[in-house]
Amino acid sequence: MRIAWISLVVLTVAAAVVGQEPGVQPAGRPAGQAKAAAKGQSPKNQAKTAPRDPTQSPASQPVPRTVTPQVYPIEQIQAGAPRFVAQCGFCHGRDAAGGETGPDLTRSDLVAQDQRGDKIGPFLRTGRPERGMPAFNLSAMDLGAIVAFIHDQKTKSEALGGGRRSVDAADLATGDIAAGRRYFNGAGRCAGCHSPTADLAGIATRYRGLALLQRMLYPGRRQTPPKVTLSLSSGQTVTAPLASEDEFTLVILDPSGSRLTYEKSAVTYKIDDPMSAHFDQLGKYTDVDMHNVFAYLDTLK
Amino acid sequence: MKYTRALLSLGVEIGLAVFASTQWASAQGVDLNKLLLPPADSWLNYHGGYSGQRHTGLTGITPENIGKLQQVWRFQTGQNQQIKSSPILVDGVLYITTPDNIWAVDARTAKELWHYQNPPNDAFHIGHRGAAVYKDTVYLTTPDCHLIALNAKDGTVKWNVVIADSKRGYWSTNAPLIVRNHVLVGVSGDFDNLPGQLKSVDADTGETQWIFYSTPPPGVAQPDSGGATGGQMWTTGTYDPDLNLVYVGTGNPTPVLNGAARPGNNPWTCSIVALNPDTGKQVWGFQASPHDTHDWDANEVPVLVDASFDGQPRKMLMQASRNGYFFVLDRTNGKSLLTAPFATVNWAKGIDPEGHPIPDPAKYPSKDGVLVAPNESGATNFRPPSFDPKTGLFIVSAQDGYGIYFFKPEHGAYGWAGADYAVAGKAFLRAIDYQTGRVVWNHPIGDGAGTAGVLTTETGLTFSGDVPGNVMALRSSDGTTLWHEAVGRMGNAPIMYVLDGRQYLIVGGGSSLYAFALPQGEVQP
Repeated sequence: MRIAWISLVVLTVAAAVVGQEPGVQPAGRPAGQAKAAAKGQSPKNQAKTAPRDPTQSPASQPVPRTVTPQVYPIEQIQAGAPRFVAQCGFCHGRDAAGGETGPDLTRSDLVAQDQRGDKIGPFLRTGRPERGMPAFNLSAMDLGAIVAFIHDQKTKSEALGGGRRSVDAADLATGDIAAGRRYFNGAGRCAGCHSPTADLAGIATRYRGLALLQRMLYPGRRQTPPKVTLSLSSGQTVTAPLASEDEFTLVILDPSGSRLTYEKSAVTYKIDDPMSAHFDQLGKYTDVDMHNVFAYLDTLK
Repeated sequence: MKYTRALLSLGVEIGLAVFASTQWASAQGVDLNKLLLPPADSWLNYHGGYSGQRHTGLTGITPENIGKLQQVWRFQTGQNQQIKSSPILVDGVLYITTPDNIWAVDARTAKELWHYQNPPNDAFHIGHRGAAVYKDTVYLTTPDCHLIALNAKDGTVKWNVVIADSKRGYWSTNAPLIVRNHVLVGVSGDFDNLPGQLKSVDADTGETQWIFYSTPPPGVAQPDSGGATGGQMWTTGTYDPDLNLVYVGTGNPTPVLNGAARPGNNPWTCSIVALNPDTGKQVWGFQASPHDTHDWDANEVPVLVDASFDGQPRKMLMQASRNGYFFVLDRTNGKSLLTAPFATVNWAKGIDPEGHPIPDPAKYPSKDGVLVAPNESGATNFRPPSFDPKTGLFIVSAQDGYGIYFFKPEHGAYGWAGADYAVAGKAFLRAIDYQTGRVVWNHPIGDGAGTAGVLTTETGLTFSGDVPGNVMALRSSDGTTLWHEAVGRMGNAPIMYVLDGRQYLIVGGGSSLYAFALPQGEVQP
């Protein structure tokens, strides 16, 4: 019996967006409105239709209420259940409350805003393949049944509360604020890029609970795209956000927002990816560090 | 090469029959001899052979001519489902599956010969790994846990049996393993507390021959299990004809993240088990993840290799497991030869004297969350690896990733019983020296995790796919890219065979199947 330990060199490639919640979910609802909604009162300022920050995770937030209450025939809901389970259930759970990889749809902002499939239908037709959500080409009857089932599950979930994959903000409050501040300014080297009075000012108001923890650990390329500096054969140097890349090509966004593709073999380039420091830090945090830094960031309201 | 001679004795390498004779053998139905020594013009089971090495002896496509590889045809299923199956090739016909569907396709023209569709059902349609063939019958598992025997010539149903109760939460994605007249079929079922079962079905009649349970079936007391269910065997196993042993990986325990509800190691979940295919009796077991709490099943292909280890000829079994560790076992008895991490791991306190990682309780899912490597999708997963006997490299699609895992009593003790979220991951093709566990080369393939399996060739090529959607060929010795083509994201492993004297590479990209070959007239194997 021999035991071998290896140390792996983690090559820096452009950072991943893995693990973020799809951008169809709710941002925070001010607590007062949530309470008002829970009591069955309407929020005063129609905030229910205000756009939400797509980076927010739903799992530690109040469930967004259905904007337009809808009633579906029981036959349609019953027809939707098996269709939903077969096509959606592995990732989103048989009850739509979260499965192996997909989020809890009963807490989805897109579902909350949907009216008889007007949001869900177009979303299903395109999917979000870069995050593992395939496109679905459904008949009108199948789509209607699936939409009916999702709304029915959401209604039930609102009545029950909770959520199978729930992580409450209070669950995360185990860290030491002062130790978190020290780690932020010291060992964690967070202060090299971030400031509590600049980019992180109010971060705990914009993100709460699990959403704040996820953003702290890995904000994702979508939020903070890498910058690529290209030296073209003309001698020109271009610096632009990186839209995507593979081993062979770079796609950059030009100032007008158009995508330009370059063969990597034809240019000299350098990618500056802020996410690589976040990825490296994932291998350095202890769980105590993680909770301490979270506790500190949670004070930046 | 020192390993090649030993491998010949295993007698399961793809394409070897071709070298034994100057004639191209034709499959003409599948019997045991062909499964043992597959002809070059065939791909007869999920792995292309019983060893699971996914290494072809064909020599026509080389590092020197790979640049001339070109697309010959494309078959489109016309469906949304990504192709995740390995095709079977018999007598010039390819059999390709997606959940509830199988197509017989003329391998020369890509024309559909027949298409069988299982009736709509409400089981999970997450993926399908492929069909199996024996004699003139094609075997298909379905999401709703039927095993259907179809006439290879026209797709008509010979018989259709239920292998598990899909209403209780079982479903099947399994490509069956055929050993003589035994059709071995596995199922999945992580969202319910269900015992893990592998069933052997008579190839002629569909009658059940035996059932192996990895965790106790209802009504059977087995104190060792700690009350765990789960341990599903959803990946195709491998087979050693000399030892007459089938090797299968078992899945994670249920409840999945709530370990407190099932104390102890929870055998035989997250394990490799050796079974007698005639009786279903377990001969040995090796637990890759004792008391798993992270959904890291050990279903990854148990690859069989005959070669030298520490200077001694050995019958080995190798697995790059979802938990981030690479295991080399003596497959005669299940004893550990090597345990080494092949990806970023932070969940074990060390390795015990028998080669098992020792789980660190500090990394069990908790109320406030723990940061764990790998994440739930694992250091690898369903995508099959390949073993290259020439270089002694085990080449696997790996991920370095992190996730946060939560459990609180409110999550209960049924099914998932907890919450976890992937944080970030980076994908690689990674070549492991099987004698040391050392990573010899490491080729980045994108963000997150790859979905393509691996095929190696006797000429020193490694075929696989990257995350953005390229099929690529690397030099096996050092991982240098030699060829690529955009096909969409690969969900299966490449296969290779010869037809009419021309060597083909077959890969799935999205919901299409692509065939590549050198131009007509190019020197062929």
